Amino acid sequence: MSTISIPRSSSLKSIITDARHFQIFFLGTFLTYGILALNWDAQLSRFIAIFSACLFTQFVGIIYTSQDFSGLKSAFITSLSLSLMLQTHSVAAAALAGVLAIGSKYLIRFEGKHVFNPANVGIVLSILLTGETWISSGQWGSGFIWVMLVGITGLTVLQRVGRVDTGLTFLMIFGGLQFLKMVVYQGWTADVWLHNMSSGTLLLFSFFMITDPVSTPNSRKARVIWSALIALLAFAISQVLYIYAAPIWALFFISPLTAWFDRKFIAKPFKWIKS
Amino acid sequence: MRSITAVLLLFAATINSYGFCGFYVAKADASLFNDASQVIITRNGENSTITMSSDYKGDLKEFALVIPVPVVLQESDIRIANPLIFQKLDAYSAPRMAEYYDQNPCYIYQYDMAPVLEESTDMVEKTEDAEPTRSKTLGVKIEAEYTVGEYDILILSAKQSDGLKIWLNENGYKIPETANEVLDPYIKGGMKFFVAKVNLKKQKNTGFQTLRPIQVSFNSNRFMLPLRLGMANSQGTQDMIVYAFSEKGRVEATNYRTTKLPTDMNVPLFVRDDFNEFYKSVFERSWKLEGKNVVMLEYAWDLSPMNYVQCDPCAGDPPVVADLVEAGVNWLEYNPKYNINDGQVFFTRLHVRYDREHFPQDLFFQETPNREYFQGRYVIHHPVEGQLDCDGAQEYYKTVFNRRQKELMNLAQVTGWNINSYAGYLDEYADKAGVKKVKQNSLLPADFNRDNEDVYALLTILLMGGVCFSVIRLMKTIK
Repeated sequence: MSTISIPRSSSLKSIITDARHFQIFFLGTFLTYGILALNWDAQLSRFIAIFSACLFTQFVGIIYTSQDFSGLKSAFITSLSLSLMLQTHSVAAAALAGVLAIGSKYLIRFEGKHVFNPANVGIVLSILLTGETWISSGQWGSGFIWVMLVGITGLTVLQRVGRVDTGLTFLMIFGGLQFLKMVVYQGWTADVWLHNMSSGTLLLFSFFMITDPVSTPNSRKARVIWSALIALLAFAISQVLYIYAAPIWALFFISPLTAWFDRKFIAKPFKWIKS
Repeated sequence: MRSITAVLLLFAATINSYGFCGFYVAKADASLFNDASQVIITRNGENSTITMSSDYKGDLKEFALVIPVPVVLQESDIRIANPLIFQKLDAYSAPRMAEYYDQNPCYIYQYDMAPVLEESTDMVEKTEDAEPTRSKTLGVKIEAEYTVGEYDILILSAKQSDGLKIWLNENGYKIPETANEVLDPYIKGGMKFFVAKVNLKKQKNTGFQTLRPIQVSFNSNRFMLPLRLGMANSQGTQDMIVYAFSEKGRVEATNYRTTKLPTDMNVPLFVRDDFNEFYKSVFERSWKLEGKNVVMLEYAWDLSPMNYVQCDPCAGDPPVVADLVEAGVNWLEYNPKYNINDGQVFFTRLHVRYDREHFPQDLFFQETPNREYFQGRYVIHHPVEGQLDCDGAQEYYKTVFNRRQKELMNLAQVTGWNINSYAGYLDEYADKAGVKKVKQNSLLPADFNRDNEDVYALLTILLMGGVCFSVIRLMKTIK
């Protein structure tokens, strides 16, 4: 087995410089909170299936491409995201989601970058292929607490990876359109809109999924347009089909455009650990 | 452990007073009650069938109903359902009490059969009035006009809420002031208004004393129940029981949390005497602890005709195919070759207690592939009566004593009742078991009712710690 080099001089510094540690910590806390305080179905077999599928697929990928083992951290984040968002009672479907999520990183690539957000692919494809998984968009409920917690923790991570632009653009455009439709046009009171916008699932999506630094376009300008497109599509889907998880579907369909954006707007690709 | 066996005695929890999920309007200024309602909703692709229970007990002349619907309904989309369907579904799916008799430790093979009892629900509802309709040019268009069963029904579309409000008021549907804030959003959202009054002549001909449920069927992407209009004439909270049928699996809310009722636990014997009160407390406590903005799952089961175990234990007879069809399940196919009905049916019972503050949005649902069963089930145990004198007796009494201690703890946990006054329930067995009697007021520590607050506090501290740590780092990075 290859050795993983850990800089011994300052282990704290190495923890802090990699934003993935923050992500793991925050997502892990959300999952714990969901299970303990919100009484989620804590089906151990599902979590085991997701984690082992993700980590194993990543491991195979690392060996095959002879990359650095720190990529396992990304697989850990994908596992947590899948555990947070994807519901199923089928262990096989959970494992498949994990394999598809990480597998897509290695198989669906364009110019050295993977095209899709891994967790997003895992969720969407497992729903389409197995019919045994689903997104419980109401599982967090809605409330100010989510705006605060997910917002602050999310911004912390985004600031570190330079993707605040992506998350905020999405939220502002999606929220703005919802506001125009619900409050300005239809005449609902603002609390109806707020209830809609403070859904834990929506916030988690905005701060922890759409903003994945690797699968978003490299240039800031491109990212803003890209996430605006996702917001537009998500809004359209939610209006026509009345699907609450519309942003997750929108991200899936817009993701392939990343490659085009990267060609049009040249910028340095993202690296987790800056050398 | 001593075996605990025998037979189940079941009760169905009764939930008081039911009504429509829609919106009652009154002509007279009598106070309106719209405390609870029962609704059946079936979903098959884009097709929804909604059946609204009616147990209106007031003057039939004064009955009037307004429900927002997403499309203009055709006459064939509206029918009258058999009122018994609600009683049947309620009795079948209500939270239940299972009763067990301990086996006598001194006579191993004794069995006792108890009869199966069933209590069904009482329904009460109150509403008011309607009068003959009169067309008006207030931007209100009568899209369709039908008489179905004992109801005169109009499907209205409107351009703006003021016109609709005036029209409704002029036609005998008294609209509360507070309805204004939702009429406009519904109109702009493309909703039509289904308004109904009782046709007294037709009603007489039906031979029924009470009004029968209205069932409407339509195709729409919106799988939802319009709660908001119903809040307009109710100050406090309202209860709604939703019986949902779908093909794939459980139905859950998409814009609110769907959470499970605490279930499957031993509770003290005396709960049997007032199971309804017990269940009310269980629901109320759970609803409060969950933040008052949740949809509570009370029952979930596979009701496909080919599934032979349709409940376990059964609180009431499971619905047969004819009941499913009555409820609006329209996707079963009769297979004459085997004389069976092909198709999957999954049943979900949801209980929503809602008010304006905690439920600002209408309730949207989705069908999930989740086919896991669920039921509200509370178990009581009858100890062996009479004097026991054999070697195993004392050990048996100890088991009973310990079990009762746990039962009381469970009771305190799920109902929030003060169990210190039930020390006698334990003491009855203290002497026999050879243990110390329980001191009054010492059953529970004073802070027992704080529940899981400690865990949440710990978690929050952890989270906040993380947040602080990150913020500090963030500041440093910015510098």
